[in-house]
Amino acid sequence: MALVELQGVAKVYRSGSGRRTVEVMALKGIDLTVEEGEFIAIMGPSGSGKSTLLHILGLLDRPSAGTYRLAGQDVTALDETEAARVRNRTIGFVFQAFFLLPRASALKNVELPLAYRGVPLRARRAAAEEALAAVGLEDRLDHLPSELSGGQKQRVAIARALAQEPAILLADEPTGNLDSESGREVMRLFSELHARGRTVVIVTHEPEVAAYAHRVIRMRDGEVVADEVR
Amino acid sequence: MRFADLFLTAIEALFAHKLRTFLSLLGVIIGVFAVTALISLGEIATYGIRRGLEQVAGRSIFVQGEWAPGQPPVRFREADRRLLSALPVRVIPYVFAFAVGRDERGKPVEVRVLGVPGDLPELDPGVELAEGRFYTASEAKRGLPLAVLTQAAKEKLKASVGKRVELAFGPRRARLAVVGTTKPLGGLFATFNRPQAYVPYRWIWQNVPSARRGRYDAFELKVRPGVEMKLVADRVKALLEKRYGEGRIQVQSIETFTQTLSQITLMLQALLGGIGALSLLVGGIGIMNIMLVSVAERTREIGLRKALGATAAAIRTQFLLEATLLTLTGGILGIALAAGVLYLVVAAVPFFEVFILSPKTVLLALGVSALVGIFFGVWPADQAARLDPIEALRYE
Repeated sequence: MALVELQGVAKVYRSGSGRRTVEVMALKGIDLTVEEGEFIAIMGPSGSGKSTLLHILGLLDRPSAGTYRLAGQDVTALDETEAARVRNRTIGFVFQAFFLLPRASALKNVELPLAYRGVPLRARRAAAEEALAAVGLEDRLDHLPSELSGGQKQRVAIARALAQEPAILLADEPTGNLDSESGREVMRLFSELHARGRTVVIVTHEPEVAAYAHRVIRMRDGEVVADEVR
Repeated sequence: MRFADLFLTAIEALFAHKLRTFLSLLGVIIGVFAVTALISLGEIATYGIRRGLEQVAGRSIFVQGEWAPGQPPVRFREADRRLLSALPVRVIPYVFAFAVGRDERGKPVEVRVLGVPGDLPELDPGVELAEGRFYTASEAKRGLPLAVLTQAAKEKLKASVGKRVELAFGPRRARLAVVGTTKPLGGLFATFNRPQAYVPYRWIWQNVPSARRGRYDAFELKVRPGVEMKLVADRVKALLEKRYGEGRIQVQSIETFTQTLSQITLMLQALLGGIGALSLLVGGIGIMNIMLVSVAERTREIGLRKALGATAAAIRTQFLLEATLLTLTGGILGIALAAGVLYLVVAAVPFFEVFILSPKTVLLALGVSALVGIFFGVWPADQAARLDPIEALRYE
C-alpha cells in the first residue's frame, strides 16, 4: 500500500468578488503516489504549484477537487481538529525559515509537537534529547535559537520533526536560508535519514538540492510535467 | 496539549514582556482597587456608625405618635404607661416643650426642654453627668423647678450649677435652678449636641401653657437583656395602635436606624462600585487591546503551533488563559493596593475603628477580575484560533 495517494487533486484560489472574481488554478488535477521510504524532490519555478502541493500533502490546505489518501486513510475532507491530529502524529515539517520559538531552548522547541500530543514531560524530554542527538546537537540542548548558527537551527527543526516519529517528512526549501556549506550539511542529514528508512519529500528550486533525491517531480503551471526516478 | 502545559505556555508568554504586561494591567489594578477599597470602606464605616448608635441608643425603643393630617396629635396617658410597664421593659416617659433663653448679649437661644422622671442616669445609661447631680425621683414627683442642662445649653446660656436660668415658654417666663450638667455625646454623634434642658415633667404640666396635665409625648423603653428587641417593638406597636388607630404609632429602635443605615451604605456602595466597574471595563478593553496586539505579533508562532498539531481549541485555551492570568494578576495587585491604602486610612482617621477586608470582598474582586479576563480575552483568543496556518506561516 502506498503511503501517499493523490488522485485528480486540484486547487483553485479565488480572489476579488462578483464579476471581478479571478480564479487561479494552482493545481490542475495531480495524480501522485509516494511509496514508503522514497526520497522525492519537487521542483519547479515559482508559481508552478509546488508549495501548494506540499501544503496539501501536509494537511495545511485542502484540495478543491480530487482525493488524498495518507497511510491508507482518506484525509481529503478532515475537519480542522482531525487534520491537526493527523499532522501531529503523521507529518513532520521542516520550513525554509526554521520557525523555532525564539524564547524556548532547543530542547523545548523539539518537545513542542509532543506536548501537543499530550506526552508527559519526562517522556517527551527523553524523546527530544534523542532526536537532538540524532542530528548531532546533543551538546546544544539548552541553547536558545539566537545562540545557534543557521545550520544548527535547521537541524533543531529537523530534530523537532523526527521527535514526532512521522510517517513522512515534508521540507519546504530547507536550504533556502543557509550558506552552501550548511546547506550541504542539512542535505546530508536528509540523505542519512532516508537511508535509515524515512520517507522524505522536499520542495526546492535548486538542482544541487534535488540531486540528493532519488525521484524528481517537475512541475509547471499546476501540472506535473516530469517524474523521473534515478 | 495537557492543561498544565497550556498554563506554563501562557505564563512564559506573559513573562516575555514584563513591562508591557504590567502596563496593560494598570487599568485592571485600579478598577479592582476601587471596587475592593470602596466595598471595604463601606463595611468599615457601617461598623463605626453602628458602634456609635449602640453607645447612644443601646437597647432602647422610642415610641411616639405619628402625625396624621386633620387629626389631633397622639398624646399618651398614664394607662398607656402602665400597659407598657407589663412588658419586659423599663418605661421612661417624656414630655416635650420648647423654650427660649438668652445668651450673655441678650440674643434668643432655643432650648429643647425634656420633661423626664428623676434619677434619669440610672434609668438610661446613655445620659452621663458632667457636674452636679440629677434631680431625684421625689423632687420630680413634687414638680420642683430644677433643671439639668446639656453641655451646649450650659455654654450658650452662660449658666452654671447652683445658679438659676431664665426660660420663656411662650408668654410665660420661668426661673429654674440648675442642679447639674450632662456630658456631651462623643464621636460621630457630636453634632447632636444641642441646647437641651431636662426638667421634671410634672413641672412642665404645672407651668407650661401648651402642656396637658397627665399626658406624655413619648416613651423610651429600655428593653431588658436577653429579650428580642424586634418582638417588643412589634408588641408595643400592636398594643398602642389598638388604642389610637392603625398607623398612628411610630416605634423606632436601633434596628430601624441600622436598617436605614445599611440601605444608605448599600446605595453608596452600588454607586461607587459602579465607578469601579467602569474602570474595570476600561481596564478590560485595555487587556483586549494588548491581547489583540499579542495575537498579531505571534501570528507566525500560532501558524507553527498549528502546523505541529495544535488544535484551534488548544490555541484558544492558551490565549484565554493568558488573558485570565493577566487580569487575575491585576486583581491580586489591586487587592493588595486596596489593603495597604485601607490600612493607612484606618490608622490615620479616628472615626474608622477597625480594619475590615472580608474574604467575601476578596473573592468577589478575584472573581470579577477573572471574569474580565475571560470576557475580554474571548475575542482575541478566537482570532488566534481561527488563523489559517498557511497564511500565518507566510506572515511577515
